[in-house]
Amino acid sequence: MAVTKVVEIPYTLEIPVGPQHPALHEPLLLKVYADGEEVVKVEVYTGYNHRGIEKLAEKNSFYRNIFIVGRVCGICNNVHANCYVRALEQILGIEPNNRAKYLRVLAMELERIHSHMLINAVMAEMIGFESLFMNIMLDRERIMKAKEILTGNRVVGDYMMVGGVRRDINDEKRDKLIKILDKTEERIKYYKNVFMEDDTILKRLVDVGILTKTDVVKYAIIGPPARASGVKIDARASDKYDAYGEIPFNVITRKEGDVWARMILRWDEALESINMCKYILEKLPSDGNPVPDEKRLPRRFPPCEAFTRVEAPRGELTYYVMSDGKPMPYRVKIRTPSVNNILNTAHVYLGHTIADIPVILASWDPCISCMERVTVLDLITGERKRIHLKELARRREKWVNPRYSI
Amino acid sequence: MSYKEALNKLVEEGLLNVFGEIKPNRKVYSFDWSKIRELFTKLIDLVGVEGFYVSTIIGTDLINDGTIRLDYYVVFLPEEETVVFRTFLPRESPEIDSLVDIVPGVLAGECEAYDLLGIVFKGNPALKRGFFVPKDVYEKGIYPLRKDAKV
Amino acid sequence: MGKPKILDLILRNLFSKPATIEYPKKETVIEPDARGRHYADLNKCIGCSLCSIECPADAIKMTPIPSEYEPPKRNPRKIFPVINYLRCVYCYRCISVCPTNAYVSTNEYRLATTKTVFSDMLSLSTLPKKSG
Repeated sequence: MAVTKVVEIPYTLEIPVGPQHPALHEPLLLKVYADGEEVVKVEVYTGYNHRGIEKLAEKNSFYRNIFIVGRVCGICNNVHANCYVRALEQILGIEPNNRAKYLRVLAMELERIHSHMLINAVMAEMIGFESLFMNIMLDRERIMKAKEILTGNRVVGDYMMVGGVRRDINDEKRDKLIKILDKTEERIKYYKNVFMEDDTILKRLVDVGILTKTDVVKYAIIGPPARASGVKIDARASDKYDAYGEIPFNVITRKEGDVWARMILRWDEALESINMCKYILEKLPSDGNPVPDEKRLPRRFPPCEAFTRVEAPRGELTYYVMSDGKPMPYRVKIRTPSVNNILNTAHVYLGHTIADIPVILASWDPCISCMERVTVLDLITGERKRIHLKELARRREKWVNPRYSI
Repeated sequence: MSYKEALNKLVEEGLLNVFGEIKPNRKVYSFDWSKIRELFTKLIDLVGVEGFYVSTIIGTDLINDGTIRLDYYVVFLPEEETVVFRTFLPRESPEIDSLVDIVPGVLAGECEAYDLLGIVFKGNPALKRGFFVPKDVYEKGIYPLRKDAKV
Repeated sequence: MGKPKILDLILRNLFSKPATIEYPKKETVIEPDARGRHYADLNKCIGCSLCSIECPADAIKMTPIPSEYEPPKRNPRKIFPVINYLRCVYCYRCISVCPTNAYVSTNEYRLATTKTVFSDMLSLSTLPKKSG
């Protein structure tokens, strides 16, 4: 009998990365299918951190929600609260004074600096550069101190309130903040230099995880990953919320679109943020008390819808708040940048080695608690038609040791 | 073609109707849910693939009207102007065509709307329960963000 | 391969003092107005329950003042807020909504303890005990 069929056994391995994994610090499962070292398919599984905040927000009053949404994410809590508070201000028709607007921007920019420093530090750790990680985290602590001076707490600021902010700063605090910013600026310049010139970093990051301009728009990638691919998306520049219309700043874009470009872009943005903070502290307007009397704020919310955008450290964050005249919001919808950036980028991993997976994932600045959502399969072209071992194992049980199919 | 011209053209063709405004200054257009694919294919023809992205999909359960409202928040580039495309689905069988093959960026939003509100996006192979709803909730067939769901 | 850029810094750090604050031996320097443990001053509290309603974490329960304490006249319902520090998120919403500014705020951040989890003893210590 002639041979009619040749069965080729592909070396495809299925590797679960996460939800608890030494390389990933957050609860996310990446199912990686690899052919030897080469990644052929990635599936993103989430749902390990869902807390049902949107439903919770429907069960709490408008004002209590300010503090609940501030706890969606630990890193960008002021940005979340600001976005929600501005939605409430749109519903109520309240406008805070200029000093309050400047102070809000100050709090959010401090957050951006420390968030960008954090993810750069995590990236250094991902590529095995522990000493750089430690040093960046040490300098990040200064910014945390600055946040403590401004808002009263290192991490969760609870700084935003309808009609203004919750505490003012005086000259003494201002001088302290300027001192901290001067010191940090010097350090950030140094670290940027390290990222630009260090061989270890360049070898691991350059030309890894390239994202083209078309893909960025098609897959709705936002924030630093989009700007690193040359797409100029920045809600600060387009919506000009709070005081962003008055404070001069540049929207930084890069052309390369690889992991390295995203990290350098974050350093550049951190420097830009430091300049903005200094500008705010020097030119802080004094047109009245920025702290509203929380006892006198309106209790009744008219039926209305508001949709606000804010540029979080990770990208465009949107809040939709719908009021139907009752004391609780009818619907609150939070769309965080991590949703798009993690879930829609499964195709970027293809063709890279397994060691590059944590690097590429870290370059999105993933925040699972922000995302608290969805699962995705990669449906995109370029995926080679292969049978993976699991399937093969099912067909030819004797051939394959089930030990290798996880 | 600028996005304003494109929107005007779509309104002329009857695919979009001016609906109102969401604060602050987000224009709302309503459309017929059965024509969603036609709408977005035309939109790509008019402004190009790099001309817009779907920022988010927001479903709201309007239990008193017996409908589920579905909003597509489209951000037009390079102006970064947010425009809302709104449609209403019957609450008993909320079904709409999936956009995942023409606008891949909606994947996250569609999966989320299915898992939390039970809106079926026909043609999206990635839909499944338990994206982020815990097992004990979805096994009972509960869609948590529906107003009559008790969780 | 060139010399790692960060080598100078690493060598310098090798011979310098550790940056970590040795916490139990040395106090962490904290701002005087940082948000720490807070409790109600019962001489000012009128028992209106507003803080309990507004608390986003449901950490405040209104409790009757025990009989061995002299309840102030301005508190007709004789109730006072007890904060559960394990639930509290230190947002200070209670402090800012209080109509009589009855809350005492401190920057006490060392909250790990085997004793006080509720604020009742701190609050009641502001009241005089009934004589006899």
